[in-house]
Amino acid sequence: MKALRRSLRRFLDLFRNSGEDELAAELESHIEMQVEDNVRGGMSPEEARRQAAIKFGGLDAAKEMYRDQRGVVFLETAIGDFRQAARTLLRNPGFSVVAVLTLAGGIGVNTAVFSLVDQVLIHPPGIDDADRVVAAVTRYGNQGRGTTISSPRTFRDIHEGREIFEHAAFSDGSGSGANYIAGDTVDRLYAPGVSAEWFDVFGARPMLGRVFTEEEDKPGANRVVVLSHATWMRLFGGDRAVIGRTMSLTGEPYQIIGVMNPEFRVPRNVDLWRPAALPAPLFDQRFNERLFIAARLRPEVSLAQARSWLNVLSNRVRNGGDQIESGVQARAWSVSALPFTDSEAGTNKTFLLLLLGAVGFVLLIVCANIAGLMIARTSARARELAVRAALGASRVRLWRGALSESVLLALAGGLAGLAVATAAVPLLSLLAPAGASTARLDLNVLGFCVAATLASVLFFGLAPAWQVSRFYPKGALQGEGRTNTAESTRQRLRSLLVVGETALALTLLITAGLFVRSLVSLQAVNPGFNPEGVMTATFSVPSSNYPRILERVRAAPGVTAAGFVWPIPFSYNNQGGVFAIEGRTVSPTDPLPNADRRRITPGYMEAMSIPLKRGRYFTENDHANAEPVTMIDENLAVRYWPNENPLGQRIRLGPPGTPTFTIVGVVGHVAHPDVVNDTGTGVYYLSLLQDQRTGSAGIIVKTSRDPLALVGVIREAVRSVDPSQPVFSLNTMEDYVAASLANRRFVTRLLGFFAASALFLAALGLYGVISYGVTQRRREIGIRVALGAGRSSVMKLFVGQGFRLAAIGVGIGIVASAYIGRLIESHLYQVASFDPATVAGMAAMLLLGALLASYLPARRALRVEPVVTLRHE
Amino acid sequence: MSKKSDVWQGTLALMVLKTLNALGPMHGYGIARRIEQTSGDLLSINQGTLYPVLLKLEQEGSIASEWGVSDNNRKARYYRITKAGKKDLAVEEREWQRTKDIIRRFSALGESS
Repeated sequence: MKALRRSLRRFLDLFRNSGEDELAAELESHIEMQVEDNVRGGMSPEEARRQAAIKFGGLDAAKEMYRDQRGVVFLETAIGDFRQAARTLLRNPGFSVVAVLTLAGGIGVNTAVFSLVDQVLIHPPGIDDADRVVAAVTRYGNQGRGTTISSPRTFRDIHEGREIFEHAAFSDGSGSGANYIAGDTVDRLYAPGVSAEWFDVFGARPMLGRVFTEEEDKPGANRVVVLSHATWMRLFGGDRAVIGRTMSLTGEPYQIIGVMNPEFRVPRNVDLWRPAALPAPLFDQRFNERLFIAARLRPEVSLAQARSWLNVLSNRVRNGGDQIESGVQARAWSVSALPFTDSEAGTNKTFLLLLLGAVGFVLLIVCANIAGLMIARTSARARELAVRAALGASRVRLWRGALSESVLLALAGGLAGLAVATAAVPLLSLLAPAGASTARLDLNVLGFCVAATLASVLFFGLAPAWQVSRFYPKGALQGEGRTNTAESTRQRLRSLLVVGETALALTLLITAGLFVRSLVSLQAVNPGFNPEGVMTATFSVPSSNYPRILERVRAAPGVTAAGFVWPIPFSYNNQGGVFAIEGRTVSPTDPLPNADRRRITPGYMEAMSIPLKRGRYFTENDHANAEPVTMIDENLAVRYWPNENPLGQRIRLGPPGTPTFTIVGVVGHVAHPDVVNDTGTGVYYLSLLQDQRTGSAGIIVKTSRDPLALVGVIREAVRSVDPSQPVFSLNTMEDYVAASLANRRFVTRLLGFFAASALFLAALGLYGVISYGVTQRRREIGIRVALGAGRSSVMKLFVGQGFRLAAIGVGIGIVASAYIGRLIESHLYQVASFDPATVAGMAAMLLLGALLASYLPARRALRVEPVVTLRHE
Repeated sequence: MSKKSDVWQGTLALMVLKTLNALGPMHGYGIARRIEQTSGDLLSINQGTLYPVLLKLEQEGSIASEWGVSDNNRKARYYRITKAGKKDLAVEEREWQRTKDIIRRFSALGESS
């Protein structure tokens, strides 16, 4: 009973801190009373105090016993360790702040980048088991990566492949815009058609109501919509009674049958989903690519199995005589599958992984630096530790002391890192595929953060702990200022860390350098048109209205040219497909001619300053009643008419018997989809004036004034023909061009930032080592100088040491960067993966940093007055 | 906290309780003086060892303490015996009495042989 009571009290006392002060006060009053009594007894004050002290016995021994009595010993020592560690850390605020901040930066940025990678590539929000969702990829012969746009017939095959695919669905991008009119406001909504199983493929469940049935995915039965959560909130204020209500889209009534959960937004930026309701005959068309096909693999099926299944299908199609409309076998046609997340991320995938690698490097450097600092501190405290060891502190206790400091630092760094990550995620998510990012930190990421912290604790905590555990108190006590075994091991370890840091930093610097050079070349690339002073807007009015709108816009002051185009270059929309050249047979083993397609009105080429190479531009005379004409770009001309004049040749887009288009002009190539990823695919242009069309089209207006001043002009012109039509995507052409490089620019900037941090940290590490060496060898310097060594030779000693370390690091770094260069080769632009200029420049920069980092402490060594140092010993 | 100090603590604890029981609330120095007077030089060298014992007794609830002012106006911590302490003291005294008897009998055994 007594023991229990005591344990409880002891435990509770752990949380009280007043004990120590009270004890001190109590003991002091005890001694004072003794002193007073002694004085009263006739002693002199000094003698009285001396006698009182003798009588009391060891003051600290009493306190120690008191403390032992007070606490639960194990917990108490553990807490003691931490308290001691905290005190030590607080005594060196400079060191602690630097350590925590660097750690926070390292862990924070790592966590942020990882959370982004996780969200984009591993666990996209709103999708169940994203690793089982694949996208179909169609490829024509040598067409490189292929496209995720496939044909209805391919969809039917995949949909029937139930042994491989649990669900299959498609979204149909064509005609997916819808005007929603409520009161005065006209809203342009993105309302793609999707097939019935779309939501099953992604495992997306509606928050309210239901999703489409098979029956509703039929022409005529498809007047139903599922709202995205954001649209529901925006248009209906989150009214739950919206289910069953009717909304009007571009004049047609649709019944709202469901509201999707807030996380699921596929396809990207979707406002609401409509049933695709493709007419049945379309599903026989093998080569009419228009659908994005997504499918969910059966749980037991791997991606490789799905691919080989699709490969069998491709072979069957190629050999089985599926007839293309023009009657030629599509020999080089094939279909394959890609993880859905990869198809969404596109080139961002490499960027993300690259950033992940880069921040990983930075974290490593951070850890190495802190390990270096800790080792330096171990050295500085060698004497203190030796004294403690000599006084009987067990090795374990010393070891625990060192580890406690690391744990405290890592905890503080981890917490601060979490804060950094929270702040950095929204910034970084600019990099995620546009719109898909609902950036946030989740449990996975928190786990990563904890793991990163633990790893850094182990990494930089163990080195000094290991040092302490190999501690030789005797040597340390004897040899302050002189080299001893433990000391030189420590220095070697630190040098090793510095070499590693330098290598990592150089690798980052070179990688960043390659990206900077790529960006510079890319910005200098001519996209094939001149975006300066060009304004664009998108809207959908019948093409018969285009001349009236153009007339109004051209009348505005400053406007020099205007025309329509669809799709707008650099807007990441694409149209195209195979065509046939009249009078030419294609060998069954060759792929059919294929090209991108753009529809334009006269004035477009002039507005975009796309140069005419041969023949003529379209004119107002190329109208519906005239002969159908086309223009091609130089790439198409070179590819299919390499040794002849394409002018006057005719191409056919449909089966034999359908109209042919005569080539009247050859123009310059426009990069597509942007300058980075220019496929080099040729383009043929059709005249919008020869086509009855109601879909979206972009207006392109060239002005000698501020292009944004045209916003009102364009809106007014559209209103004059149809007041109910919304005008959207009002961007300058320069916006489009800048946006196409935005991701790369961001990645390059981040890489540059990481590389600069790495350089700084590596220099800091080197500075630490050299600076410590100078302190250690102060005596030696003194003797050298006293014996007549020139200042320059002393300087050379230290700068040379720093330079040697850095040079080894540079050597390793160059080899590593050559390897990494090969990995990122496909993302570099007009710069070799091993670019001697970049390597040399960056190595020089690093060595310069190293020289500076060694020069500064070495200069301090020279200020040493030999007499002072020698006497100091 | 070796076994040896447990015996020492036990002895000292009993003396503390006895003193407080007999003389009422006292500060640490007072207790030390009193024990010194009654026990000769038992505590004269190492008064500091008293404090862990006081703490232990307080943790066990046998004594309680509060801060007060001494006769010559010095801040001091006063200890007093609690009800539980009195009960403990009675038990301990009986124990000691018994131990003492046994020891005496053993000692007598040695003398008589």
